[in-house]
Amino acid sequence: MRLSASLATLALWFTTLGPAGALEGAREIFPAPGPEAGRLVIHAATDLDAMRPLIEDFQQMAPGVTIEFVEYVTNDLFRQAQEACTGAVESGDILLSSSVDQLVRLANDGCAQPHRSTETLTVPSWANWRNEIFGFTFEPVVFVYDRRSVPPEDVPRSHEALADLLRRKPDAYRGRIGTYDIEASGVGYLLAFHDSRQAPTTYGRLIESLSRSDTVTRCCNSEVLGETAAGNVRIAYNVLGSYAYAAARANPALAIVVPQDYALVLSRGAMIPNNAPRPQIGKEFLNYLLSPRGRRVARERAFFFDEGEPLPEGVDGPESLMESGIGRPIRIGPALLAAQDAIQRSHFIADWKRLIPRR
Amino acid sequence: MSGKGSLFSRLMWRMSIVLAISAAGLITAAWFYARAAADEAYDRLLLGSAFQMTESLTVRDGELQFELPASAFELLGLAESDRIFYRVIAPGGKTLTGYTDLDTGADIDASRKQPRFADGSYKGEDIRTVTIARALSLPQGVGWANVIVAQTVESRRALASELTVRATVLVAVMSLLALGGAALAVRYSLAPVARLGEALSRREPQDLTPLDVSVPAELSPFVSSINHFITRLSERMQLMQRYIADSAHQIRTPLTALNAQVSLIDEDQLPPEGRRHLERVRRRAAELARFTNQLLNHAMVIHRFDSVHLTPVALNDVARKAFRAAIPITVDPDLVVSFEASEEALYVTGDELSLREAIVNIIDNALRHGASARLDVKVWRDGDFGVVEVSDDGAGIPEAEWSNVLKRFHSSQSDGAASGLGFAIAAEVAGALKGGLRFRTKSETAPFAIQIALPLSSAPIEKGDAS
Amino acid sequence: MRIFLAEDTHDVGEAICRRFQQAGHTVDWETDGAVAGDILSFTDYDLVILDVMLPGLDGFTLLKAIRQRGNGVPVLVLTARSEIDDRVSALDLGADDYLVKPFDFRELEARARVLMRRRAGGEATNVIVCGDVTLDMTNRSVRVGRREVQLKRREMALLEILASRPGRVFTKEELLERLFGFDEAGGPNAVELYVGRLRKKLEGASARIVTLRGIGYQLVADVG
Repeated sequence: MRLSASLATLALWFTTLGPAGALEGAREIFPAPGPEAGRLVIHAATDLDAMRPLIEDFQQMAPGVTIEFVEYVTNDLFRQAQEACTGAVESGDILLSSSVDQLVRLANDGCAQPHRSTETLTVPSWANWRNEIFGFTFEPVVFVYDRRSVPPEDVPRSHEALADLLRRKPDAYRGRIGTYDIEASGVGYLLAFHDSRQAPTTYGRLIESLSRSDTVTRCCNSEVLGETAAGNVRIAYNVLGSYAYAAARANPALAIVVPQDYALVLSRGAMIPNNAPRPQIGKEFLNYLLSPRGRRVARERAFFFDEGEPLPEGVDGPESLMESGIGRPIRIGPALLAAQDAIQRSHFIADWKRLIPRR
Repeated sequence: MSGKGSLFSRLMWRMSIVLAISAAGLITAAWFYARAAADEAYDRLLLGSAFQMTESLTVRDGELQFELPASAFELLGLAESDRIFYRVIAPGGKTLTGYTDLDTGADIDASRKQPRFADGSYKGEDIRTVTIARALSLPQGVGWANVIVAQTVESRRALASELTVRATVLVAVMSLLALGGAALAVRYSLAPVARLGEALSRREPQDLTPLDVSVPAELSPFVSSINHFITRLSERMQLMQRYIADSAHQIRTPLTALNAQVSLIDEDQLPPEGRRHLERVRRRAAELARFTNQLLNHAMVIHRFDSVHLTPVALNDVARKAFRAAIPITVDPDLVVSFEASEEALYVTGDELSLREAIVNIIDNALRHGASARLDVKVWRDGDFGVVEVSDDGAGIPEAEWSNVLKRFHSSQSDGAASGLGFAIAAEVAGALKGGLRFRTKSETAPFAIQIALPLSSAPIEKGDAS
Repeated sequence: MRIFLAEDTHDVGEAICRRFQQAGHTVDWETDGAVAGDILSFTDYDLVILDVMLPGLDGFTLLKAIRQRGNGVPVLVLTARSEIDDRVSALDLGADDYLVKPFDFRELEARARVLMRRRAGGEATNVIVCGDVTLDMTNRSVRVGRREVQLKRREMALLEILASRPGRVFTKEELLERLFGFDEAGGPNAVELYVGRLRKKLEGASARIVTLRGIGYQLVADVG
């Protein structure tokens, strides 16, 4: 009786998800290169393409591990993790998400388990909360523009400049600006929220300009970049540098600008869920991500940016992001809870949606 | 000074207990204080963020607005490792935002006067909460909105335990220093006791002079008691000696008179029967005289050891004097009597008169009961002992009797006459001087002998010419 | 000989007086110490016998007074206390001998005789050696090797005579005369008796008394 009741609840859950679609996104199995000795389930709000080199390199080290990679959009990952936290559904062994505020919320609600190792000690304090959430990447938030359609004088090198550009040439860019749908994308919300905090005035003007420009919103980075590559969008606002760089490498028409007034820096978060079935393997993978080897692979083949390294070639931006004070890391900590406040979030999104309806 | 039951260890033991108890008390107090201090410090953060949150409650267009200030969480984020829970409650009790199941358990309205802090638990974690209230003017009237902010207590605990550990280390160090200081102080304070004990143990048992040790006031009753006791003992002993001396005089005088009178009886005028009686009277009188002497000497010898300082005594001299004193001029002329001193000078620690008396008694006994034709007194060295040997050509004392003759008033069966106290005196003197009385059985080559063996001591440093 | 006796116990004093008078001596007897002191200060005696406990003046004080005047008269102290209980030793104060009461009267007489003879005789104070026999006239002691042998007065005298001229033959009559003098009686057997005793006491010595039958005796030291 109970089982059928909970199954019914679960079924109800799925049906009420509505337009967000299925909880689970793409799933890919990386069979163990050697005889299988363990299994690692990664629940990630991260493009598989970015993660693939890391996963494969990890399997070089641990050939007995079969890795199951399940991709979600950030909000879906969050919901799934909340469910898993109560034990209603099976948890992954490690969660990876760019929407670190959601991870912080999960950790705050007791859904994470702490992990300490020599690798975790190397994590800067702004990217570590309670030894439960670790930022394992360094990803500036950038503008991407289409060289083919954006003349050099129009290239915006600051948020202010972008707002100005849209005011000066409203017609040229109407319907040609792309960004996240912050309702669908957790990381989009996080970035927008931080923009509003970082420079409230600029942000207000920028939102207003974006609103007037009939900005195109998409669920995720890849889609925004896809629209840009396709020429439908000329300037993409608030794109994660790593994806942008990958796209720019694939398509030379795309150019990357790191804003010079300030640039948010996101550190993708990793977390071992409290109900992880195989936390030990999850922790091993986490150690790998934080290890020099993992970081090198990430820098070279996955996320391209690194806190200690200069910007990758071809990226338009300041010499040194952090020392110049332009880089503003999003601190992984309790302050992110404010972003996760229900009323806050709903008001913010409502305000945003009012100005930038989905298009 | 140390050792079980010593004054020092008792004091130290007690002081350690007191120190340990007070240290435990201090540490407990420090723990409470540290908790209070940590609570106070972190409560301010909690209260500050709660205030920021209430400030963000505004009424706009008749509607309650709330915008969660990130700074409130940044403030709480100063407690780096702590989780944060909050709940904003609109007038009327509806939860506006936050963790709807966060509850302090107390009456929320009590926070209207002042912020209410409380300890509780949430999601299985210990938390500290603050509840504050804010009056809002709404179209439907004034209402109270509440904000509950909660924080896990890891940082508080960490701070409190760090403070406690520091305090504990401090208290431990102080306690050890105090204990060390106390040990020194106690040792210093007890030094007069040790000095007194040393002065007492250094004294000769015969020393009956009052103690002359400077002691603190607390000890002076003991010293004066001891001195009082010593004085009384000394007086007693003097009294006793005088008594014995007087008794000796009192007894000896009539005995002498008796002898004198007996000696005046003209035997020639007596019938043979009367002569025999006279001879018996004479013998009995002599026996009585000898016995009395022994008795009094015995008493004196015993008392001498209570009051006389032992000094190095030249054994040859003492033995020679005893030899001369013990052999009367009227000794049987047919008896060969000789004395042989040791080649080297031998010294023993003793009292010359007592020792002489002891030797005299042995010679006297040999003269009276043993020797028939020969009596030899010889001083010689036997290892670490000086030996005065009295040998005679008599039958000797059978081995079975040896232990008996040392007893007082033992009556020798072979002789019939009482041997009296002679051997007892000798044995007691030898014993008091840490030596002993030995017998040597008669053999083909050696005659029967009685020996006084005494441990040798070094020669006296001063007065090499005396005695 | 003239003897002074200070003794307050009548029974004792009487006996001493009688015994010495029987031996032909003159005895002045006094019972009070102070009076005794007076008498001693102006009268010479051959022997003083002092009881320690005396009324008036005690024996020790008397003795001290006698010696302080430089009087060398032999003093024999009688004491009811043994040396052990007397704080002051009689000998230390200048007594020549002492006897502890109660004493044997023969012993008293013997000691008194020794003292009086010593005063009268003024014996030689030299040491005679013959073989390993040593005769010390000062101490009146005889050693055979390392052994001190107690000799009686006459034995001592006999040895002294014989040892004075070792090897010389002394006739029995000569010895008799020198040993006993004219006032004492001694049969010819007496010489043999003393020679016998002396021989026994010198047993083991390297000097021996040789009897020359019909002639006399000589002391001979063994050679080697």
